[in-house]
Amino acid sequence: MQVFKDVAARIQPQPLLDWKAQGKPVVGYTCSYLPAEIFHAVGILPLRLRGIETDGMDIGDVYFGPFICSFPKCLLQLVGKGMYKFIDGAIITPGCDSMRRLDECWRKAGEDYEGVLPGFYYYFDVPHKSEDHGMDWFIEEIEYLIAEVEGYFGVEVTDEKLRASIAEYNKGRRMLEAVESMRADINPVVSGADVFSATIAGSVMPRNEFTEQMAAWLEALEEKPPLDNVQKRVMLIGSISDDLELIKLIESQSGALVVSENLCFGVRGEGRPVDETGDPIKALADHYLGESICPRMYGKYKQRLALLKQKIEKARVDGVIMQNIRFCDLHGAENALFERDLEALGIPCLRVEREYGPMIDKGRLKLRINAFLERIGRRRARQVAG
Amino acid sequence: MRAEVKEYNYDWMMGSITEAAAKLPAGSQKEADLSFRYIPYFRYALGALLETGPPGVQFLKMLSHYYKNITTAHDQGKKIVATTFCSTPLIFYAMGLVPLTFEVLTAVGAMVWKRGMFDYMDYGCEVGMPETSCSAQRGSLGAYLAGLGETIDFIVCDSPGVCDTNATAFAFAAEYLDKPFFQLNYPSTIGDERSQAYHVEDFKAMIGFLEKQTGKKFSYDRLESYLKEMEAQDAITADLEDMLLLVPTPIPPIYTLMIYAGRFCFAGHPEYTRMLEKLRNEAQKRMKAGVPGLKAGVERLRVLMCYIDHYTVDMNFYNYLEERGIANTGSILTRNFRDNNPYCQSLEGSCYGVDTSSPEAMLETVAQMNARLPMVRSIRGPYDQHGMWLDECLALARLYNADCIIYNGTSGCRNTWGMVKPFARDIEKQGIPVHIMYDDAFDDRVESWEASKERLDEFFTVRGLL
Repeated sequence: MQVFKDVAARIQPQPLLDWKAQGKPVVGYTCSYLPAEIFHAVGILPLRLRGIETDGMDIGDVYFGPFICSFPKCLLQLVGKGMYKFIDGAIITPGCDSMRRLDECWRKAGEDYEGVLPGFYYYFDVPHKSEDHGMDWFIEEIEYLIAEVEGYFGVEVTDEKLRASIAEYNKGRRMLEAVESMRADINPVVSGADVFSATIAGSVMPRNEFTEQMAAWLEALEEKPPLDNVQKRVMLIGSISDDLELIKLIESQSGALVVSENLCFGVRGEGRPVDETGDPIKALADHYLGESICPRMYGKYKQRLALLKQKIEKARVDGVIMQNIRFCDLHGAENALFERDLEALGIPCLRVEREYGPMIDKGRLKLRINAFLERIGRRRARQVAG
Repeated sequence: MRAEVKEYNYDWMMGSITEAAAKLPAGSQKEADLSFRYIPYFRYALGALLETGPPGVQFLKMLSHYYKNITTAHDQGKKIVATTFCSTPLIFYAMGLVPLTFEVLTAVGAMVWKRGMFDYMDYGCEVGMPETSCSAQRGSLGAYLAGLGETIDFIVCDSPGVCDTNATAFAFAAEYLDKPFFQLNYPSTIGDERSQAYHVEDFKAMIGFLEKQTGKKFSYDRLESYLKEMEAQDAITADLEDMLLLVPTPIPPIYTLMIYAGRFCFAGHPEYTRMLEKLRNEAQKRMKAGVPGLKAGVERLRVLMCYIDHYTVDMNFYNYLEERGIANTGSILTRNFRDNNPYCQSLEGSCYGVDTSSPEAMLETVAQMNARLPMVRSIRGPYDQHGMWLDECLALARLYNADCIIYNGTSGCRNTWGMVKPFARDIEKQGIPVHIMYDDAFDDRVESWEASKERLDEFFTVRGLL
């Protein structure tokens, strides 16, 4: 477990440095729509780019305007500071407008800061619909990406290699699913922060090493006694987050445990395995686009609500914390709908806006979370008394 | 929302205002003078429109007609489709529907009332839309979310892939109001075979949705008649664009607003043709007499608005341009990218043609037309991609002899705020001064018009432009 914690806490963790020390390539990507298996299949480490460890915004603010999400700004800040100079490639995806504009801002920063723009720099175009022509477009995008990767890195992405990578990734997915069930159990043995560390680690460390570590951790968890004092079972959803401090902040409150989440860096994309039979490219497309539950897929609110309800029921959630990064239109608006519909079902919700980054608004968040947990606590007490 | 605001049906109220305004010239001077006393926050806007003569009157009639269509739609057995300014209403008219465009309605309210659309915008936030969402939709949408407008039957938007805030507003409205929803989605490129084919496939899916909602088969004969009407409109627009090239231009600043507002309301509809004809007649008269479009009679400066104009209270922005002697060479909203326009030569591959020879050709035409509407065409994909926003602005600024470029948008405009700084830097490198306005085109509370005006003055002074 410790390795996951170390990996999740740093931009350049040891397993990544070891990988680079062996002269192996790393390609960074910005969004959960990218099939990481493509890179794994040819010995390239796919690295989900993160914005933690940012200590200012002097570079991010030069390129981005003021009304923009702080996540891409933090990424750009790290890029400008040279923290990502070690990557050999970067892939930008239009997950949302703020993220898609990272494309131009990074390229322009590359004109001003030497060596920050990697040699392989690619725009991966993801449609907002998965039906028919949307899916065809996405499959073509995957094929174009593969061609570019093959051309630049001098590798060959075969179906066999892809199938092997899918199988390897699926091992991790199934183990994360198992941990997710343990966490949802009436007597959970694992904290939300630990599960979150593991999911983050899965997106940044060499996958085979991750699989091994997961297997060992899972074995250890099976022997572990239930956690003490779990009185308030919380679910965390909303804008992109890879910040362990947010979950730790919730779990540091008396009796609170994050027993479920639906976050971009979390189990949201890792939860289900990819089909291992048939055409691997189609299987990847079906998984990464077809099963997407990101609010950028407009018109699918009801499916997303149904999934939340399912998770709430499974994990016996007492309350849902819905956070959105300021200027995150997608989650900001959708959280309001979730709040309306879940509160109507008697599920307490807290909707809160925050900034991505070094938890500058920790005090304010703590106050709101505390008040919310009190509400849950009183409700639970009433239920027990009744 | 204030209790008194809830007392009025929003569509009826706005329809009544525009209807009364359109009738004003038919009365006596005494009646007009008396009316102006009762509209202190709308008097410049109304005066400016009426001063343009027949075009302004026709514009007001057109707006009044637009509201009447909405308020009487259900009585006439027609369905109301809520849509966005970057989706053409032509296709909806061809289906016998009544389009209701949130942004147009927000802009009209913002210009007419002292408090602009603040009450409705805030109601949007009350029910959960983020305060950072785009004011262009949130204004009028607030009225519909509050149940103060006509009942919307279904929702169609075409902003996914181009503008999250826009698309999110429509998706939110669909869920909140529990209405059927369809999205046209755009890839990051345009003009290449692959994206052209995607536009058509997406459009076919939209027609399927419309057929399902209306229970009617799509009529290509009706589409043909609307496309032919649009042909006439495009020809007039191209004439107006030609006159916009002249220095000084005989086109007054407010004409550009009338051109695009008309297109958003009535593209392909004879109502719009009538207004355009009047605009052209008046402009041609001035051109022949060698009279500039600016009231002062002197053109001191030419600006290109690279994004949108400013719409808050009483048309302050257009008044400002008139006062300073600044010609408005148009914005992203003005251009329709029809291939008969002067700028299309400079932007090869960016424009579209009209072909009514077969149903397939018409479908291709309308799909490609829709893919070239404001924002949808220019702001998709990277701004510095070939033929996109940067190329477009540079080409237009050069062609129309603009002395500078001004960016104005809304604080909800994530896709432009995400890159407007490097975009401005790239333009400045080409020797064209750029000013970024940090206000909100529909909401004076973000930055007061007085502050915006001072900053504009500062820019013009410091850069030696005025």
